[in-house]
Amino acid sequence: MSKANRKIAILFILPVIIFYLIMAIYPFASMIYESFTNLNLTIANSGQFIGLSNYFEIFQDPLALSSIDFSAMVIYIGVPIEILLGLVFAYLIRGLKGEKVFRTLFLIPMMIPGIVFGIAAQMIFNYLFGAANYFLSFFGVQPVAWLGQASTAQFVIIFLDVLQWTPFVFLIIYAGLLSVPQDLTDAAKVDGANGWQTFLHVEFPTLRPLLYVALIIRVIDALKIFGKIYMTTWGGPGTATSSWSFYIYKVGVSYGWDIGYASALAVILLIVSTILVNILIRFLNLGEQLGISKES
Amino acid sequence: MGKYRALVLVVSMIAVMAVAALAVTTISVVVSPDNGPSIQYLAQQFMQQNPDIKVNVTIISWETLYPRLLADLSAKTGIYDAFSMDVMTTGAMQSGCLDLTQYFKDHPDVIPAGYDMNDLLPLAYKLSTWNGDLIGLPYYNNTMLFYYRKDLFNNPTYQQQFYQMFGRPLRVPTTWAEAVDVARFFTQSYNPKSPTRYGIALMFPTTHTMFYMFPLFFGPYRTSTDGIREFGPVDFNYGTYFTSDGKPAFANKYGLMALEDMKALMPYAPDPLGSDYGQTIEYFAQGMTAMCPQWTNPYLQFASSPALQPADQKIGIAPMPGVSVAGNWALAVNKYISPDKQAAAVKFILFCTTKEAGLQVLEKFAIAPVRESILDNPEAQAAIPWVSALPSIYQTEAFRPRIPQEPQLEGITDVTFSKMLSGALPMTIDTLQSLADQWTKVLAGGQ
Repeated sequence: MSKANRKIAILFILPVIIFYLIMAIYPFASMIYESFTNLNLTIANSGQFIGLSNYFEIFQDPLALSSIDFSAMVIYIGVPIEILLGLVFAYLIRGLKGEKVFRTLFLIPMMIPGIVFGIAAQMIFNYLFGAANYFLSFFGVQPVAWLGQASTAQFVIIFLDVLQWTPFVFLIIYAGLLSVPQDLTDAAKVDGANGWQTFLHVEFPTLRPLLYVALIIRVIDALKIFGKIYMTTWGGPGTATSSWSFYIYKVGVSYGWDIGYASALAVILLIVSTILVNILIRFLNLGEQLGISKES
Repeated sequence: MGKYRALVLVVSMIAVMAVAALAVTTISVVVSPDNGPSIQYLAQQFMQQNPDIKVNVTIISWETLYPRLLADLSAKTGIYDAFSMDVMTTGAMQSGCLDLTQYFKDHPDVIPAGYDMNDLLPLAYKLSTWNGDLIGLPYYNNTMLFYYRKDLFNNPTYQQQFYQMFGRPLRVPTTWAEAVDVARFFTQSYNPKSPTRYGIALMFPTTHTMFYMFPLFFGPYRTSTDGIREFGPVDFNYGTYFTSDGKPAFANKYGLMALEDMKALMPYAPDPLGSDYGQTIEYFAQGMTAMCPQWTNPYLQFASSPALQPADQKIGIAPMPGVSVAGNWALAVNKYISPDKQAAAVKFILFCTTKEAGLQVLEKFAIAPVRESILDNPEAQAAIPWVSALPSIYQTEAFRPRIPQEPQLEGITDVTFSKMLSGALPMTIDTLQSLADQWTKVLAGGQ
């Protein structure tokens, strides 16, 4: 590229760079700075630098600590179910009559915003008028206080998350299954492998890197779970369904307007996400699996 | 020549239109859903009478309205010119609100002839002030009422059954202890002959609802003779939750008894920890419960529900068995907007709080009046049945704190009470003391 063309190219991308700096980099830098201040919108003249106080405070805040529990629960219960179901659906649907129709239907939940899921869930799991209790009544089951008990409220949120994000995992794995070379599966069949053996020894190893990618994306996303909680349980009963992200919202917007403390919570979320993803990438040896590591 | 004439004509027309557009002051008014339809209705009338002012009314949910306003006022951006303000947020919002006391002193002409400040109910007026300055005009004197099924309470068969069961006549409960028996009687799983599935619709979710439900139960203890002796009179800024010298007043046997009263009613309510405002209105409106503590404006939903017809025979309204809790709203003006907009916004909120406007919004939208003359008005009393009951209810109301730290206190309290009621935390004074310690920390300036 000539020098003149390069200047023109820079000129063209400059507005985007400026927009990115204003809309992403500045707020990000501002958040990090504010995490070291006592900025609170309800208190006049707040915003003084207080060092690491907000960060020390987090480790003594029972509400922050209890919101780790539910975030973790979504990750270690919800995400594995999504991966498993996505894998099963992708395997079962392939080659099925009406495959295209099923494929399209499976993707619908993913296109619905979390907030809409929450509103629908409020109606479905309503104690007196909800479809869930109505359905259970046919089996003689007494109405369940879905949103009023810790265990059932947690079930509802995880169920909604699984419902919404299994299609995403399905999509990744389904695409992977379609890209498995035909000659490999044919060779397995010639060697006498049945369907299950072909899947286990030929297709699954090919899919493994994609499964890991799906896992990492879902873990990052599960840490951010917010809309369904906001619309359905508001983190309750107590803190049973309060995720870290929802607690940040409560502290920073809904109840506290404590911007300094909420920023510190957000920074912690960022650090935890980064560490977790790096551990997963190293543990799963993802770079090598995808053929993008420096060593390969 | 003709071409020039046409050009001059077009330019002149554009100039006239531009001048006309510039002459119109547009104000942006943001309100909660409780106040929204009535303010929209009044805005139409106001614009007809004041063609030089255009009013854009936006309705935003309670959960979103407050943070948006606070962000706007804190950043001094002046996005919203006027807004409805929950008076319990006064402490947090006051720094961005126009001081109307001073404004009226500086601009006495803005107050329309016939606008009677002295007619405003003293309590509603006082709740719209901060440090003696008027920072909003009282608009909606909301309070909680005890709705009950009049037809069931007056039914001789149920009266007889109740007497056989409890050895005393069936009547609308005047204490929460009485309410437990009545709620049990009207719950089918405890009394198969009950005409309703549940006795009472309660809302104890982990939201700000919990924060206004607790004072219904704690209020009777806090304002009893013993309570006043121990904690002093209730301070308007600190409210029922506090002692008169600004310390938490609930970490004791009274706070515990209030929570025990709440818990005692829970078996007779449909999913109390998972139900909020909308659900409980629906439960009562569909005839599923015999009783329902609710705010004033759901009355219109009840009165239009097919399950509660004829409404005058089925919907009974009584004072709360404990005490009610104030839920007042005021209309305020942003301090950080231009003088022109301030003038237009003040004119608008004055219009909305006239006696005529108050009567209209009471009749059409069940907006509880802020003026004494409306409470005394036979037309108003005939339009909405709770009007005549309001004066006595206002006498004994409980109050939420209005101090700037209120939102933080609310956040930690809702969670603790929800955990106590669900059994996740022990129902003990120690648990309440731990909550009080967190309050003290917040009040001292910590998280």
